[in-house]
Amino acid sequence: MVYYLIICRSLTYAQRTEAALARAGITAHIRRSPKTIDSEGCSHSVKVSERNLAPALVVLARAGLSPKRVFIVAGDGSYKEVLL
Amino acid sequence: MVYLDSAATTLQKPPTVARAVRSAMGRMASPGRGGHKPAMLAAKTAFDCRETAAGFFHLDDPENVVFTLNATHALNLAIKSIVKPKDTVVISGYEHNAVTRPLQALGCRVKVAKGPLFEPEVILARFEQLITEEVSCVVCTHVSNVFGYVLPVKEIARLCRLRKVPFILDASQSAGVLPVHMDQLDAAFIAMPGHKGLYGPQGTGLLLCAADRETRPLLEGGTGSLSAQQDMPDFLPDRLEAGTHNIPGIAGLLEGLRYVASKPDGAILRHEQELTALAVKGLSAIPGVTLYASKRPEVQAGVLSFTLAGMDCESVGEELGLRDIAVRAGLHCAPRAHESAGTLGSGTVRASFSDFNTPADVRRLVSEIARLAG
Repeated sequence: MVYYLIICRSLTYAQRTEAALARAGITAHIRRSPKTIDSEGCSHSVKVSERNLAPALVVLARAGLSPKRVFIVAGDGSYKEVLL
Repeated sequence: MVYLDSAATTLQKPPTVARAVRSAMGRMASPGRGGHKPAMLAAKTAFDCRETAAGFFHLDDPENVVFTLNATHALNLAIKSIVKPKDTVVISGYEHNAVTRPLQALGCRVKVAKGPLFEPEVILARFEQLITEEVSCVVCTHVSNVFGYVLPVKEIARLCRLRKVPFILDASQSAGVLPVHMDQLDAAFIAMPGHKGLYGPQGTGLLLCAADRETRPLLEGGTGSLSAQQDMPDFLPDRLEAGTHNIPGIAGLLEGLRYVASKPDGAILRHEQELTALAVKGLSAIPGVTLYASKRPEVQAGVLSFTLAGMDCESVGEELGLRDIAVRAGLHCAPRAHESAGTLGSGTVRASFSDFNTPADVRRLVSEIARLAG
C-alpha cells in the first residue's frame, strides 16, 4: 500500500501535526522515521494515506506547521522524497 | 493531621493524581525512545500535559511548555537563558533564593525594588525607577511565599514591555490559584512548580517559554531527536529536556491540571482567602500574636505569616507539629522577603492553605495557638 511520511523535527512537533490533522478529520499516525531516510538520527514522522496528503498539507500550512520533508512509501517499501 | 504547608508542597491531592502515577509506572516507558506501545503511551501523556498546560496558561504552542524538576529548575533555565555574568537585573524585595542564588552565582548587579508589605503601589513605583537602560532582565514573584503578598505583576510586565526588558515571572505560589496568562503578560518565561497549586507530584515543574525566546540548556544529553548531531537541538521542548522524563510525575501533573481547570474561575483563590480571613480573625484575638495580614483581600493570597511573643518561631512550628498541625517556620528560603517585612531576625510561622483545607483546620490552628499563648 502506498502512503506518505511527513518527517517532523521532534516528537512533540509530530504530535502537534497529528493533532492538527485529527481536528480536520484526517487520519494520521505517528511512527519513528525509518533510519534510511533520516540522516540526522532519530526523528518521528506522521503517516498519512495517499489520498490524504494534499488536504493534509493544506491543513498544516493553515496551522503554521511546516513538514521537514515528505516521503512517499511505495508498495515495495522503498522511499522517495516528495519535493514540495 | 492538619496540613497547612501548601506553600512548600500540597500534600492532599485529587485522588486521580496518585492513580495516574501508579498507572504510568505500570504501563508507560520513555517518550521518543521507541515506537512501541509503552513509549507511545508515555508520549501521548506528555503531549496531553503540554496541551493542557498551554490551554490553561494561554500559550499558543504546546512545544513551548517545558517539563522541569521543580520551579527552581525552571527559574534557573529562564535566568541563565537571558542573564549573562555581571549583568544588571531588577528583582522585587520578596524573591525566593531560587531567584537570588542563581543571580548571585552569575555575579550579577542586583537592583532590588523594595517596598512595605501589601503596598503594591509603592513597589510598582520602585520598579518604575529601577528599570533603566542597562537592565538586562526583570525577575519577580507573583505571590510572596512567606506573606502571600500578591505583587502587581501585570503592571510590572507592562513596564517591561514598554522599556523592552525581558520579564521572568516566578509563579510558584500563584499557578493554579491566580490567573497566569502568558499572552497577557507577554513574559519571556514563566516558571512554576507542578507540586503546589497544580496538585501534581513532587519532582514536577513547568517552564513556559515565549515563542521567539532563545534558550540555554542546563543539561546536555539524549533527546530522542537529531541523534546524529552532537549539539543540542535548537527547538523546544527538546532543547531543554535532555534525559528521560519523569513520566509518572507528568501523568500525575496532568491530572492535577485537569482538577484545577475543572474548578470555576477564582474558586480556589476565594476558598483560600476565606480560610486566611478566618485565621486572621481567630489569631488576632490571641494576646501576643503578631499577624502579617492585609485589609485589602486582593493583595493577599492563601498564605499567612505570624509570630507569637515569647516563643521562637521554630518552637511554635515544633509544638504545632507535635499536635499534628503542619506549618513551616523560619525564613522560608526567602531572606529578602523577611528583610522587606522586618522579620529577618525573628523569622515567622507560616500557615498556607490549599483547596483541600477546611474551616475546621483553621479552627484547630487557632485553638492550639491560643493554648501555646496561654
